[in-house]
Amino acid sequence: MAKRRRNGLSRRSLLKGASALAMTSLAGPWLVGRAGAVGATLRAGITGYDVINTLDPGKATLIPEYYVIWAIFNGLLKFDEKMEIVPDLAESYKVEPDGSLEFKLHANVKFHDGSAMTSEDVKFTLERLLDDKFASPNRSKVSAIDQVTAVDPTTVRIKTKEPFAPLLTFLTNARTGTQILPKGAVEQMGAEAFGRKPIGTGAFMVKEWTAKERVALEASPHYFYQGLPKLGAVEMPLIPEESSGVTALLGNQIDLTSTAPFADVPELEKRTDIRVFRQAGLNTRFIALNHRKPPFDDVHFRRAVSLAFDREAMVKVVLFGEGVSSHGLIPPSLKFAYDPKPRELTTFNAARAKEELAKSKYKAGTEAAILTWGAGWWKRVAEVWTAQVNQTLGTVLRVEVTEANTVYARQRAGDFQGSVWGWLGFVDPDEYLYDVLYSKGYRNFQGYSNPKLDDLLVKARQELDRGKRGQLYKEAEAMMIEDMPIVPCFCSNVHNLASTKVSGFVQLPYSNYGDTFQSISIA
Amino acid sequence: MSRAAAISWRFLGIALTVLVGAFAVFMVMKAAPGDPALVVLGEQAPPEAVAAFHQRYHLDAPVLEQFWLWFVAALGGDFGRSLTIAGGTSISGLIAARLPNTIFIGLYALILGVIVSLAMGTIAALRRGRVADTVATSIAVLGISMPDFWLSYVLVFAFALGVGWFPSYGFVSPGQSLSGALYSGFLPAVAISAPMAAVFARTLRAALLELAHREFVTVARSFGFAEVFIFLHFVFRNALIPYVTVIGLQVRYLLGGVVVIERIFGIAGVGSLMVDAAFGRDYPVVEACAITFLVIVLGVNFLVDLACTFLDPRRAN
Repeated sequence: MAKRRRNGLSRRSLLKGASALAMTSLAGPWLVGRAGAVGATLRAGITGYDVINTLDPGKATLIPEYYVIWAIFNGLLKFDEKMEIVPDLAESYKVEPDGSLEFKLHANVKFHDGSAMTSEDVKFTLERLLDDKFASPNRSKVSAIDQVTAVDPTTVRIKTKEPFAPLLTFLTNARTGTQILPKGAVEQMGAEAFGRKPIGTGAFMVKEWTAKERVALEASPHYFYQGLPKLGAVEMPLIPEESSGVTALLGNQIDLTSTAPFADVPELEKRTDIRVFRQAGLNTRFIALNHRKPPFDDVHFRRAVSLAFDREAMVKVVLFGEGVSSHGLIPPSLKFAYDPKPRELTTFNAARAKEELAKSKYKAGTEAAILTWGAGWWKRVAEVWTAQVNQTLGTVLRVEVTEANTVYARQRAGDFQGSVWGWLGFVDPDEYLYDVLYSKGYRNFQGYSNPKLDDLLVKARQELDRGKRGQLYKEAEAMMIEDMPIVPCFCSNVHNLASTKVSGFVQLPYSNYGDTFQSISIA
Repeated sequence: MSRAAAISWRFLGIALTVLVGAFAVFMVMKAAPGDPALVVLGEQAPPEAVAAFHQRYHLDAPVLEQFWLWFVAALGGDFGRSLTIAGGTSISGLIAARLPNTIFIGLYALILGVIVSLAMGTIAALRRGRVADTVATSIAVLGISMPDFWLSYVLVFAFALGVGWFPSYGFVSPGQSLSGALYSGFLPAVAISAPMAAVFARTLRAALLELAHREFVTVARSFGFAEVFIFLHFVFRNALIPYVTVIGLQVRYLLGGVVVIERIFGIAGVGSLMVDAAFGRDYPVVEACAITFLVIVLGVNFLVDLACTFLDPRRAN
């Protein structure tokens, strides 16, 4: 008996040894083992996404595209770990009273091809975005710009038609598209080729990119920050399933993930072999109410449905507690504009909800469809919301599930009654309020219009004093809530999972990624 | 009709089916709401950017004209470039890179499934009603009722994260390393083969049992042939016809039905490419995948028919 057990054990250890051997010798391109710490390779999975269409910041829109772009390029400015705007390619900058900006550039910045970065490249990048023929999806970020002047090789002046406060935010290395490109290389290669083999000033350059599979980066020898990057290379496998990202990390196939499934986070936090990074993200999930269609054309009905559900319960059920309830559109991470006071109209109160319903022209039994997509938590938002509202008010709201593309199309066409909506990674209050609530805002799918609010939002755009500007947004949100064009629900956390070997990773609330690779080292 | 003529008719039929299939897929895709431009440019896309995108890919042309443009290019072997899921990448290249993975994993699973089912089905039939039969049949029921994605996670937790014998994620393409592909593809192949092996085994068992009581078997027995000879020549050989047919039917599943497993294990296969393309409204990629599937399925059907003719020459007439 004892002998047999010993045999069994030795067979198992033999198999283990054999498989470990096989792991190292049969490894695929990103399953490679790493040589020491210097010039080490980080395996940073892009989890939950596997589509990258272009790495040209002027054309990029998807968050996985930016995960890579942030490592390859720099903006004139960037966010530091406290989410304050600080110079990046610029050495310093100043804001003139009329809103014009002047940037003094670092003199020693080189692109990956070894050419020097000058004010001409900045001028070229911004003018390219402004060019109608180029038809950039990120044009709105720079549309306030009137003129870009290269004063001397290290000085750039940007004149705006009128003061435009969000411009500073839009010139950071975030989801902006304003990352600085090499004029010579782009003109020589053409936009299409440049998007496939981009050249930037960033800490890493693209070595290889296989569509829907992986992006391989290697350290740039020309990076302008002394001693950075610490890594030699970064492998970025595209992992479409978030849960596979978790198993890949736990099985030591990757070192870092870009997201984590909400449901797994509490369990993962108990483990000692990985680290969970989390904070309230830059996002707000809300339900857009179409003002052009009954029953949401009635302000009392809109208020009633906002009062009729418990946001805390929604956070628990939908996000497994991984978020905070929202009382406006601006998320907590935008501290200067965020109003932490809970508002009466966005706090669960069944009696108040019924009062509002009584004032409405629609009564209990009113039917409406709430448009949402997929099988994941977006759908659950709609399910939890309609169930609670129906229970409180006796309405007959139902969930209409389709897929994301159809939802986009129907929202743009105004073909919906209510619709779950939200996004991740916008960094300026203007993107949250102006785009969604301004009567001609491009994300104002609900057909909402309030001239007083419009004035306030325009004023906020033009206010260059951050404190005053934040105050204007707080006023605007208070005004919006009275009309309830959208029902704010919650702000979800952003997560990254890292192996304990990874150090120097800095998480920012806009779900940053590639930009932090430069400071990462691996044991 | 001569054999050559029959085969050419068959090929003409395949070509027509592919054409009709391609047209149907194209029209269905176009009928679905959604716009590839918005997938690429995002919901904040200004109208000019959307218009430029449409014009560039002829998406503003009438639907029939779009089909014609696509068809003419495809005849010349050019499937175009991906619109929304791998922007600008050659579709032929995408499929060429992925088809070997799909075929490899499919064959891998098929071989595992055939080996297991041959053993299980035969033992179950020969030991009908005894413990071995009950065990084999129960395993088969379990195999059919286990969702493959669930089994995948069980395999990952047990054999990758648990004992650490296999990688928890990632697949090495057979083009890079055949042994690497066999190793990293083992868990997904097992997950795919489990329900197939169950179906195969049940089919084989049923066919063997049914044939064992046919008159020609009784006659053979009366001639005094050895049991092994009777089993191999009269029972087993005839049972292979429904068995091979069922295997042929699984090819469709292996191409398009294993998307979830492809995603769980990170296998870059054609199935997930097509599903992603459909959700992303990447029309030319969906078309190219559909055609690839059609050709393979029709080709396999053709081979299955040939195999059945070989097993039972009477079918040739």
